[in-house]
Amino acid sequence: MKTNIKFSILCLMAVSFSMFTSCGDDDDEKSDTTKPVIALDEPAEGDSLKIGAPIHFEMDLSDNEKLKSYKVDIHNNFDGHNHALKAATSTEAFTYNHSWDVSGLKNTHIHHHEIVIPENATPGKYHLMVYCTDEAGNETFIARNIVLSNDVEADHHED
Amino acid sequence: MRSGIIPVMLMFVFASSLWAQTADTVMTGTLDEVVVSGSYKKMEVLNTVQQVEVVEEPFLREHFTGNLTQTLGHIPGVHSMDIGAGFSKPMIRGMGFNRISVVQNGIKQEGQQWGADHGLEIDAFSVGRVTVRKGPSSLLYGSDAMGGTIEIERLPAPIDDQWLGEVNLLGKSVNNTLGASLMLGLKRKAWFTTLRYSEQHFGDYHIPTDTVVYLTQRLPIEKQSLKNTAGFERDANWDLDYRKGRYYGNLSVSDAYQKVGFFAGAHGIPDAEILHDDGDSRNIDLPYSWVNHLKVTSHHQYGFGRLFGYLDLGFQNNHREEWSYFHTHYGTQIPPEKDPNKELQFSLNTYSASLKVKRFCSNNWEYTVGLDLQYQKNTIDGYSFLLPEYDRFTSGVLWLSKWKASDKLSLSGGLRYDYGHLDISAFKDVYLEQYLTDQHYGADVLEDYEWRSYAVERDFGDVSGSIGCVWNPTKSQLVKVNVGRSFRLPGANELASNGMHHGTFRHEQGDASLSTEKGWQMDLSYTYVHKGICFIFSPFGSWFNNYIYLKPTGEWSILPHTGQIYRYSQAEVTFIGAEAEFSVDFLRYLNYKIAGEYVHSRNREEQLPLPFSPPASMRNTLTWKAKKFKVFAQWQAVMAQDEVSRNEETTPGHNLWNMGASANVPLFKTKVELTLSAQNLLNEKYYNHLSFYRKMEIPEPGRNFQLLIKVPFKSSIK
Repeated sequence: MKTNIKFSILCLMAVSFSMFTSCGDDDDEKSDTTKPVIALDEPAEGDSLKIGAPIHFEMDLSDNEKLKSYKVDIHNNFDGHNHALKAATSTEAFTYNHSWDVSGLKNTHIHHHEIVIPENATPGKYHLMVYCTDEAGNETFIARNIVLSNDVEADHHED
Repeated sequence: MRSGIIPVMLMFVFASSLWAQTADTVMTGTLDEVVVSGSYKKMEVLNTVQQVEVVEEPFLREHFTGNLTQTLGHIPGVHSMDIGAGFSKPMIRGMGFNRISVVQNGIKQEGQQWGADHGLEIDAFSVGRVTVRKGPSSLLYGSDAMGGTIEIERLPAPIDDQWLGEVNLLGKSVNNTLGASLMLGLKRKAWFTTLRYSEQHFGDYHIPTDTVVYLTQRLPIEKQSLKNTAGFERDANWDLDYRKGRYYGNLSVSDAYQKVGFFAGAHGIPDAEILHDDGDSRNIDLPYSWVNHLKVTSHHQYGFGRLFGYLDLGFQNNHREEWSYFHTHYGTQIPPEKDPNKELQFSLNTYSASLKVKRFCSNNWEYTVGLDLQYQKNTIDGYSFLLPEYDRFTSGVLWLSKWKASDKLSLSGGLRYDYGHLDISAFKDVYLEQYLTDQHYGADVLEDYEWRSYAVERDFGDVSGSIGCVWNPTKSQLVKVNVGRSFRLPGANELASNGMHHGTFRHEQGDASLSTEKGWQMDLSYTYVHKGICFIFSPFGSWFNNYIYLKPTGEWSILPHTGQIYRYSQAEVTFIGAEAEFSVDFLRYLNYKIAGEYVHSRNREEQLPLPFSPPASMRNTLTWKAKKFKVFAQWQAVMAQDEVSRNEETTPGHNLWNMGASANVPLFKTKVELTLSAQNLLNEKYYNHLSFYRKMEIPEPGRNFQLLIKVPFKSSIK
């Protein structure tokens, strides 16, 4: 009986060992899962941005391998009670969705004023989100609470 | 003569005992002297070529949490995917959702297994015994049982005529749960009936942190209490058995209702303002969900000589709603007049029928032929969209056989063919259409986005099968080998959906051309039981050539709150893993047990693991047991999960300390069972890789003390 036990255990160990080692081989070719990094300088969290003016947009993107694209998504975060519904107002909730190609780069500094808040944008709370992908499909994003307002100065930066 | 039969049998020989109820048929009782003491548990383990775990009293009581799935999470290889403290869905060896099946009274439970935030709707108090079948089971239960099954039963009828009953009381500190369950039953002659009513109420649950950091924003968790996670559950079950001569029949009616709030941050970007303490830890505010599962099943069996017939019929209605403020989704639009805040509604009706005939050809050979039919209809409502309306018809024919080659060896195998027809309706999202029109998008963009599902009609057919053996070379050893082929039909969401999933914030897109998921799976198991020592080792491996997964496409979606589009695609996938268990009795009253598990999955196309892979873990338990008392201390170590899919977060490992004690106290001619337990004694802040709230960086519940009181009573009838 003793030999029987030993034999069975040995068999199982051999089988399981071969199973584990056979799958261990492929760990080397594991694909890139490191997400790109977004360091968004402008707009900052809680910033009030002037309606009718371009947004000062500035950030650094980097990836361990190669970046692919980034997208900026701005949509309202109205709470639904304090703001008049669409039908009753002459302004329009601002929505923005645009993407830029940064493929092939490992890191890049982005600085532009391409995003323009239209004159008829409804003032209030908004979300600004920046998404970035790399060539492998890894994706990262960052969310900012911003306020669109008629009563602030447009952002004139120092440089 | 024997030599002629063997090759034929080897070809068809087959798997596992049919369903749990059949094990009580006398003719299977001729098994070896071995470790069989005649108990159901050991019988089932010996009868099944797959790795099975049977849990009943006292396991179910000692690990009771009021939530069956969490209780089963204590079984090696089984995990609980939690949505806060209320809803949970089970996972077996790294497969969850509709890759495993839950079966009660011989009928597959059909809720909404596919969704990330839906749980299992079964009254935990009503469960008497659970059999977990790890590995491919679509031979027995068809399409969805690909990764395993969980079979739930109540306790069998007592032999003597009597009135009986039970009162259960449950209290938990982590979310101030108060629960109670009352059961009354009558056994008289051929009849046995039980009626049970259970209720549980719980408040917001505590997490050991004051803030969570989500999307680079620090959010306050006031009073360390996770706002709006309170809820309640209300269940009723009625069972009627009739057993006379060679006939046995059962009628079972059950209804389970749950209503649970969602942490507001779980819907949209959390805003510090909505997370302020509202002074009430037991209210259920928006967003919340409620679900009702009504189930009527009936089982009949009759024996004619060496022939046994079994008939199961079932009807189920699963109705689930999610409520969330309309304006949090479409802030600038006018809400619908009726039920303005009803976000989602699903009503799934399932009709099931199964007929099986089992024939005992001799003392060592039996076979079964069977037919399974199921029809489902899903209807939807609400201002948002998650799953399309569909009709689904599936049917399967099966042939199972079992042959006892000798006292030490039995072989089982079987073949099954399933046919499935799925008819999915298209759905146009009028609110999204309005939203996109307001953004001045052109007709081509509208066409791509306003259809949240496309009309898809598909037919599928597939074969499953398995062959395996149970060998007990000596009294103390048991070896099992099983090879199986199983499959799963693609779900309606995988074939036809298009748009943002409200739980994952991903734009998910179906592919109408997906084929059935097919896989080969092999499992082994070795058990050694001798003089207080028990050792179990069960490795497994499986290979799928077309496993369905969500593949990032690199194309941006124009929908707000979403990044790139994820499309359901198919890839070669392998799983490999094992569970191991060792337990030893020592110093008369003590027992030490260590149990561990590991599963490794790999998507060969992406060279990455699959999402929601459970991390390796281990439990060390020291138990002191005397006649009426039992005390245990447990150290649970969960490894970090660094094996993640693309765009899935890694989760750090953690150590948890748990304790428990139970006592039987004689009181008024009955024995009151008291079970006191404490989980997460050190109030450790940790994350569960499988939790719905994981991606929001919300830690798991903190320290919990729990008391369960069970008072059984009975009175004989002359």
